[in-house]
Amino acid sequence: MSKPRVAIFDFACCEGCQLQIVNLEEEILDLIGAVDVVEWREAMAETSEEYDIAIIEGSITRPEDEDRIRTIRSRAKILIAIGACATIGGINKLKNNFDLDEVRNCVYGEAGQMEHLETGQTKAVDEVVKVDYKVHGCPMTGSEFAYVVRCLLMGKTPEIPDYPVCVECKMKENVCRWEYGEICIGPITRAGCGAKCPSAGFRCFGCRGYVDNPNVEAAKEVMDKYGLTVDDLRSKLVLFGSKQRPTYE
Amino acid sequence: MSISKLSKTDFKEFVDGLLSSGKMVMGVQAHGERFAFDVLKSAGDLRLDYDVTILPPKKYVLPQVETLLTYTLPEQYKSQYQEGEMILLGVHPYDMAAINQMDILFSQDQYDTHYMLRRKKMTIIACDVATPSKNVFAASMGTATVHEGYDILLTDIGDAYVIEAATDKGRSLVQGAAGLANASAQDEAARQAVWDKNKIELNKHPLKCKPSDIPALLDKAYNHPVWDEKARTCFACGSCNTTCPTCYCFDVQDDVSWDRTAGKRYRAWDGCLLENFATVAGNHNFRKARADRFRHRLYRKGKYVPAKIGGRIACVGCGRCITACIPDIANPVAIYNRLVEDLGVAPKK
Repeated sequence: MSKPRVAIFDFACCEGCQLQIVNLEEEILDLIGAVDVVEWREAMAETSEEYDIAIIEGSITRPEDEDRIRTIRSRAKILIAIGACATIGGINKLKNNFDLDEVRNCVYGEAGQMEHLETGQTKAVDEVVKVDYKVHGCPMTGSEFAYVVRCLLMGKTPEIPDYPVCVECKMKENVCRWEYGEICIGPITRAGCGAKCPSAGFRCFGCRGYVDNPNVEAAKEVMDKYGLTVDDLRSKLVLFGSKQRPTYE
Repeated sequence: MSISKLSKTDFKEFVDGLLSSGKMVMGVQAHGERFAFDVLKSAGDLRLDYDVTILPPKKYVLPQVETLLTYTLPEQYKSQYQEGEMILLGVHPYDMAAINQMDILFSQDQYDTHYMLRRKKMTIIACDVATPSKNVFAASMGTATVHEGYDILLTDIGDAYVIEAATDKGRSLVQGAAGLANASAQDEAARQAVWDKNKIELNKHPLKCKPSDIPALLDKAYNHPVWDEKARTCFACGSCNTTCPTCYCFDVQDDVSWDRTAGKRYRAWDGCLLENFATVAGNHNFRKARADRFRHRLYRKGKYVPAKIGGRIACVGCGRCITACIPDIANPVAIYNRLVEDLGVAPKK
């Protein structure tokens, strides 16, 4: 059996998720042994127009990005989105809360009007093309990425958690952040991270996006119980939840 | 059964002796502002005055993730079993009652070799509750005290522990402990007083019926509005499952090596409140509604599991689910009492 050809592309992102691939360290040799990497701007000079699996980091923010991702999709049999920017739009979507001219001006000043700085509404990859698998997180978890790739090599569907962060947080035996009166959005955020932030003493920031069926009504009622407001909650949701339906329900 | 006692100073020596025996000792220790079982490194860290641990000692009896077998192609596989002896130190009666239930469940029908071998290598030192937790209702469930399952039972009677060695394992462990004396009639009376007190005080949420009434109560309650009312604000986060000492459901998955010539099969905790707990082949989810899953948990505790274990109710009143539930809907007593009020049972004697 010939090895599947893999190409890794980036759009609007910090490249931190690709760094997670590099950070696999010993395992990266296994990865490279199991697949044929034909394009990866961050790590090699070669490029290719023929590949089986396309791995996408970053969100789609410019008109030309949409053309580029459509071309990549048309060439790939399987497309995997990695990291919050690609899977949910991530922090990049904060931009969508403002007027685009204002955004250009704020970032680039007068130079913002230059043609190559044209910008559009930020989109997650699946708002433009079909995404087969998502490896969530900011950054994504390297071990989960490796697991997903191994599943695909087997031809089996990977199990991506569709339950809240609370499951993993309880397993870590953390004291619930709500017991400290903090607004933790773990109960509506997709797990898979191993509850890293609550285990380090922070609330959940929601980087893996909502579970498929978040109970937004419950979240709102809980705010009442704790003497907080829905706006307090929303202020915690916009970081990774801007322009996503549950944030505004 | 032999009943003896050790002064608190001698008890500390005894624990230090256990720590140098080479066995893993998992003891209750402070964990932030709460308590947790963890590897005990020094007798001074042991906190037998704890109220409740965040997770039950279930995490040692049924690990969160456990490799069941490993395999190498072609056709070579090997069952994996946990090595080494382990001592659990400081198990409260309600948690002991939960482990006793699991021992029945994992040995009946499909005998679970992984679980049972681990249990055989385990020594359990239980201890009576010295500080009631804010949500405990063990007294309502008949688990404020326990009289089976442990190897040793400790009861704090002030300046000393009454020590009941109930098994050969327990007896060989305490044998020869420096300062060990036979418990006097007064010591045994002091222990009885602790039990009597706990049977009253470990009851922050009194159940308005006998535990044995619950299965019949649930027979009438399948379409009661309480399931929808409560589940409306359920996050489906499964915290009532993960923190529950009697929840034992697990999911089995495979993981393969990069070159696909080797792999492992493992199991990991699952929870019936989670969205995809009941999703089967073909992506069909036969308990898609939160209310269906919410009801299922209460039926497991109050009807389905009791039918497998001689009528014991699979809720031991530890109160962990009440503490863990952010929207405060998980309290089993609140639900059973509501059903008692609406549907009626013989009043509690």
